[in-house]
Amino acid sequence: MSAFLEVKNLRKEFGGVVAVDDNTFSVQQGERLGIIGPNGAGKTTTFNMIAGYFKPTAGTIEYEGRKISGLKPHKISQMGIGRTFQIARAFGEMTVYDHVLTGLLAHHLHLRPTAEQHERVEYILELTKLAAFRDNLVKNLTIASQRRIVLATALGTGPKLLLLDELMAGLTFVEIDETLEELRSINEKMGITLIVVEHVMKAIMQLCQRIIVLNYGKIIAQGTPKEVANDKTVIEAYLGEEETYA
Amino acid sequence: MTDTVLTKKQRQKRTRTRNLIIIAVVLALLAILPQVTSDYITYVAVLAIIYAILTGSYDLTTGYTGPLTFCHGAFYGIGAYASALLTLKAGFPFWVAFPLSGIMVFIFAAIIGYPGLRLQGHYFAVTTFFFGHFIYLVILNSVSLTNGPMGLRNIPPPEGFLGITFTSLNSSYYLIFIFGVIAVAFLYFLVNSGIGKILISIRENEELSQAIGVNTALYKVLAFSIGAGIAGLAGSLFAHFFRLLHPTTFAWMTSEMVVIMALVGGLGTLIGPIIGAGIVTLILELMRFAPEFRFIIWSVALIAVLIIEPRGLMGLVRRIQGGKK
Repeated sequence: MSAFLEVKNLRKEFGGVVAVDDNTFSVQQGERLGIIGPNGAGKTTTFNMIAGYFKPTAGTIEYEGRKISGLKPHKISQMGIGRTFQIARAFGEMTVYDHVLTGLLAHHLHLRPTAEQHERVEYILELTKLAAFRDNLVKNLTIASQRRIVLATALGTGPKLLLLDELMAGLTFVEIDETLEELRSINEKMGITLIVVEHVMKAIMQLCQRIIVLNYGKIIAQGTPKEVANDKTVIEAYLGEEETYA
Repeated sequence: MTDTVLTKKQRQKRTRTRNLIIIAVVLALLAILPQVTSDYITYVAVLAIIYAILTGSYDLTTGYTGPLTFCHGAFYGIGAYASALLTLKAGFPFWVAFPLSGIMVFIFAAIIGYPGLRLQGHYFAVTTFFFGHFIYLVILNSVSLTNGPMGLRNIPPPEGFLGITFTSLNSSYYLIFIFGVIAVAFLYFLVNSGIGKILISIRENEELSQAIGVNTALYKVLAFSIGAGIAGLAGSLFAHFFRLLHPTTFAWMTSEMVVIMALVGGLGTLIGPIIGAGIVTLILELMRFAPEFRFIIWSVALIAVLIIEPRGLMGLVRRIQGGKK
């Protein structure tokens, strides 16, 4: 039996630089997996390969038993893998409402959006607490809000797996707590598998059931947040000082 | 106080009513124009309508979908020559040559766009610039086919039907006017449909557009080709209205004019480029007394517009209304 997402010997080289070095891991359906590591460890590169933006130099990615490495990003999105971007540049000239609607239309194109699509947009806006901004132009909102809009748009496409790239960077503690709650409910109520890249340690330790630690493109540790936080190699490579989390 | 606090629905309704009135007035004016004015002004109006179709279709590609192109005049020229040659050399009636020329330009643009649109931003813009010039050179030098710099003459007018003939100026004017309305209505429908939202998403952020499942390569080629196809149809109308063609009509200057008109009006608004086409055509005609100076004056005016309001006339309108930034 194959896992929900199966990454085998995944490798990416840029010129002579090895960004991702023969990594193998798998994700179970319904899981909340965190990927952490210092800057340049290969987290976003891994995301870009899963989402189809980069072609792996070697190795394969299988999703629901089908090989997806090498497919184009839009194909992968159509198969049910949504993503957000570290640097959010949302569709600035659209209203928040249209932004989310566009995601739905991208998956089921109608010349006139159907009543169900409008209902679904309303539902997503309520869920992500964006309803108050529905008629605002996206470009007039903060970067943090734009990342939420991108998340909402990804949710609208009805994904089974979401890749979240530093969704919480630059948020206040209160906002982080809110986002964590939201992500948990997305995971538990909507059954969406999450893979999260995050620098906010407290957040990722609280949210994820399992964490993979990358350093210089290699997986140096994986396990529960507690195991990872107490792992000697991780502490040396990444956390710097001995501290216990969670 | 009460009338400043309008609900969103009421405000939308008001804007819609106002816009409908403006459109109705403009259409009515254009409809009676040949009856009440001189032939010269009718000719200018025909040019303005053809330019409006060109800039409107250009806006679909560049204003809504994003890629900057400098070859719209070439598609216009291919349509004009294709239609003229189909009637002159192959003996097709106008009513067959007209749609065929649009389809031919659509396919031609798809063949160019499919590899070309893999280039990003300026690289693609430069490619289209040279492509446009290449088409001009082909038209100029394929003497056996296009008669080269001598141009094509005696292009037949559209065949009449139901007792209507298109040999007179006025009836040809109405033909072009009606096609203009249909073309603009089609573009309006397209950019306001679900497809329009997808095109805008590509313009705003192509990477993110792919992430939400848009086949951006396909839609870019599609928008580019539809815009080109409509330009081809406009070219066909031009050929059968003026009944003579010369390569210089489709030289790089025409492509530049389309870009300028669209910029003056405001890219990505559809109505802006159409108004821009009207205004620029009018100014160019009014400045006919100084043909050497008009492009200089015009260039200075363009730079001034872009400094004052880079979003063009529609940007200015929005600023005056004090609405959304």
